[in-house]
Amino acid sequence: MLNEILVALAAVATLQNFLIMTAGIWGGVIVGAIPGMTGTMAVTLALPFTFYMAPVPSILLLVALYKGSTYGGSVSAILIKTPGTASAACTALDGYPLAQQGKGGKALNMALYSSVIGDFLSNISLIFFAAPLALLALHIGPPEFFMLMLFALTTVAGVSGNSLLLGMVSAALGLLLATVGEDLYGSFRFAFVPDMQAGLSIAPVLIGLFALPELIKLVVMRAAKTDEAAPLGAQHVTRDEFMGSLRSILKGSVIGSILGAIPGIGPSSAAFFSYGEAQRSSKNSANFGKGELEGIAASESANNGACGATMIPLLALGVPGDVITGVMLGAFMIQGLTPGPLLFQTNMHEIYMLFIGMLVSSVLLFFAGKVTMRMFTKVALIPQTLLTPLVLLLCIFGIYSIASSTFDVAVLLVMGLVGFGMFLLNIPAAPFLIAFILGPMIEENLRRALAISRGDPAVLLSSPITWVFAVLIIFVLGLTVRREFLKSKERRVQQ
Amino acid sequence: MKKIIGTIALTLLAAGGPALAQSYPEKSVTLVVPYGPGGASDLAGRALAETAQPILGQPVTVMNKPGAGGMNGARFVSDADADGYTLLLARVGMALSPAVTPESAVPWDAYTFVSALEATPMILAVRGDAPYENVDDLINAVKDSNGAMTYAASGATAIDGFTTQALLADNDLDPLTAATLVPYKGGGALATALLGGHVDFVAMAAASLMPHIESGDMKALMVFAPERVDSLPDVATADELGYEKAGQITGWSALYAPKDMPEDVVAKWQDILGQVATDEKWLELAARRGSISTIGSVEMPDYAKSQYELFNGLAKDFGYLPQ
Amino acid sequence: MTMPVLRGLLVVAFFALFAFYLVPVFVPRPAFIPGFAPPPDMWPKTVSLIGIVLGLLALILAIRGGAPAEEAVETDGSSVKRMTLRFAGLVFAFGLFLVALPYVGFLIATILLTLCMVLMTGERNYRIWIVLLSVGGPISLLLFFNSALGTQFPKGELIKILGF
Repeated sequence: MLNEILVALAAVATLQNFLIMTAGIWGGVIVGAIPGMTGTMAVTLALPFTFYMAPVPSILLLVALYKGSTYGGSVSAILIKTPGTASAACTALDGYPLAQQGKGGKALNMALYSSVIGDFLSNISLIFFAAPLALLALHIGPPEFFMLMLFALTTVAGVSGNSLLLGMVSAALGLLLATVGEDLYGSFRFAFVPDMQAGLSIAPVLIGLFALPELIKLVVMRAAKTDEAAPLGAQHVTRDEFMGSLRSILKGSVIGSILGAIPGIGPSSAAFFSYGEAQRSSKNSANFGKGELEGIAASESANNGACGATMIPLLALGVPGDVITGVMLGAFMIQGLTPGPLLFQTNMHEIYMLFIGMLVSSVLLFFAGKVTMRMFTKVALIPQTLLTPLVLLLCIFGIYSIASSTFDVAVLLVMGLVGFGMFLLNIPAAPFLIAFILGPMIEENLRRALAISRGDPAVLLSSPITWVFAVLIIFVLGLTVRREFLKSKERRVQQ
Repeated sequence: MKKIIGTIALTLLAAGGPALAQSYPEKSVTLVVPYGPGGASDLAGRALAETAQPILGQPVTVMNKPGAGGMNGARFVSDADADGYTLLLARVGMALSPAVTPESAVPWDAYTFVSALEATPMILAVRGDAPYENVDDLINAVKDSNGAMTYAASGATAIDGFTTQALLADNDLDPLTAATLVPYKGGGALATALLGGHVDFVAMAAASLMPHIESGDMKALMVFAPERVDSLPDVATADELGYEKAGQITGWSALYAPKDMPEDVVAKWQDILGQVATDEKWLELAARRGSISTIGSVEMPDYAKSQYELFNGLAKDFGYLPQ
Repeated sequence: MTMPVLRGLLVVAFFALFAFYLVPVFVPRPAFIPGFAPPPDMWPKTVSLIGIVLGLLALILAIRGGAPAEEAVETDGSSVKRMTLRFAGLVFAFGLFLVALPYVGFLIATILLTLCMVLMTGERNYRIWIVLLSVGGPISLLLFFNSALGTQFPKGELIKILGF
């Protein structure tokens, strides 16, 4: 085996592969950091090039783009409150307040360190635990999936800010809007115009809800922040800050690696899950959402942690977990490699090359992140009055070109108005987004489970995994209710 | 500087006048794939784009427009200008959806039919450790279970739902209640559901199942295709087993364009596809997807019509539509 | 009426609209779903009913007191009427953009929208940058997406009629 690894190392360690991976990672980070451009866009764009490349470099290129763009999403989330991908939404919750306090550099560095660590640990789990994790993933049937996602939804309690009740209202809105479009069985819901048959896409909803209200606030209230951001150089993450967040980083990496291995969950849900967990267990929990480095650490370690792990079901089972791994599956097949159990018997050489390449790309991510960060912190110098219209412009072009759809642009603008309305009414936006992404998974798996059991709800508690999550849900709900009760008592005493 | 501005103005403002075959193509052609990236239709679209590009002399851009069972992309193309710069990678869904949900789908004949592309077999599969060795075993188990056996499909009115329902109907079982449909989204999710043992069987596109059949995790019981699949020479087709309705169901791809596309542009594309049909890269990529190139061997308008009528008849038989 | 009361009423009204009108009318129950499986309207109906309950709770809290303190909104000190006018102008600009887009084309529509947005933020300095952003931005983005992704942007019916 050692011999085989050395042979693979020699085969993968070429200048060409190194350049391909560097280009992929760096390109991914930049695409992810530009508002309105997504990792999916980068990966599909690169796919035709891989037709002319050898199998391993072509997969490495796609993986590099995926990782890079997942990290890159945090840059725009922190600097301009525009998460490049949905998985960076929780990063924006703490990153943007930090940037406003002039600590954007600190936030960016923390995001990079947690992403790299999450990414590296995720690769390790891919290399050593692919088989058991894939087996675990197969055991996650509709009832288990339902319970797992229901538990992830409890993160809403952590991102509700001042009022849990308004957070829940926001989540209910998100759950409801997520039902627009094609139903699981093939009919349509709320299809007022034909374009709505396809439902509301995540990208315009995400950007409309987070980025656009900033512009509208600027237009309506004109309370522009004029204080200059502090220079980046003095903003290293201190040793204490890093050690304080290390627990959340490691936890986030493990959460990402396990959830990423389950097909269909993906980096966003993993990031929400990890953020909620960190917020519950951190001693700084009151500071979450107001500029807490640990929140960034939890969210970013989990989303990059899920990136490498989504390769587990792809390689071990031949099952793509999300759109990007779906494109990778296509790339594998075009290359004449069929992912699945047989790949580990017939193409061990390629597998070793892939693993080595992925480990190297974790290191490359660190340097690409550092370089890009320096480029993008310049945006702090652009006055808000020019920056927010620029973000709108970028988002309109980016969102139009995902599917050449004017309807998506309309969704973007309307969601901007909705987001502004929610801001006026003091309803937090983050629970909306989390519910919007988790909602379809919760509903679909509930209905699948009930179809399998022929309507018997006992199926939802039919296996040990579901029991564990049911207990966790009750525990968290109990804690939350108790905390709310104490808070409201305190307020009454004060009045 | 003037030159640059001139070029920009030209690129930006040059609205395509009537497309003439002499000058077609003047710019890149968009091929709309009405399903998400990475799936069987996306791969077919990208393979076609790659092979057609050098012959056409202009880039062919693949655009994914998923949603609404393929109708989102189909509607986009049928509403586009018929100038030959927007084409559709049509799938069986373009004939199936209007046959089953006539009120919300794009009509089956709202296009210019350029050519057939490929046939994509569908496979009836069970888990490798399941006690069924052939279709009869499975059907008997379905009968004994009294409706409790489950199968995964993309929806009741999707092609991978119709495969199973047609098979049940051929065995004089009620296609709706004899087995329970568990809806999933996408080929990968369907295959995982069977692999994880969450459902009892599937009947879906071969591409997502082949790796698992080869590794022994799944067993192929029957093929939905006009003839046997090369890589599964021992598995009979539905037609061979005497199933009348199931025997007519198979997957396919074709190239469609908006209605009333100029005839010279259609001729140009048919000429291009004639060259694609013998292209080694195209044939190799088709074989890897598990599909058979049908360019030139299937007459497209007639085939689309017969498929529409088949599914429309089945939908009425199954009680989805009034008789 | 205070803001929290208004908010409670709005939330209740919104979810009630869904629960009692939109769900029954716009969520069909197709014939092909077996009886024991939950139909398509199960989930939206449940969620809107929960929404109504949450809205009522918010309403009760608002009337009874004891709700968390509201955060103040930062403004430049303009009157509410003036801000309402600004908001109406913004909604009008968004609406006009969407309506005009098919006629004037993607490029001109985005140029006008961007210019409009910058001016509406009250920015009057950096004139060169404003022009560069609102004219140069859309042109370079259009060229980039057109060449890199092959995206075809709507050209605009009016532009076509004018014969360009």
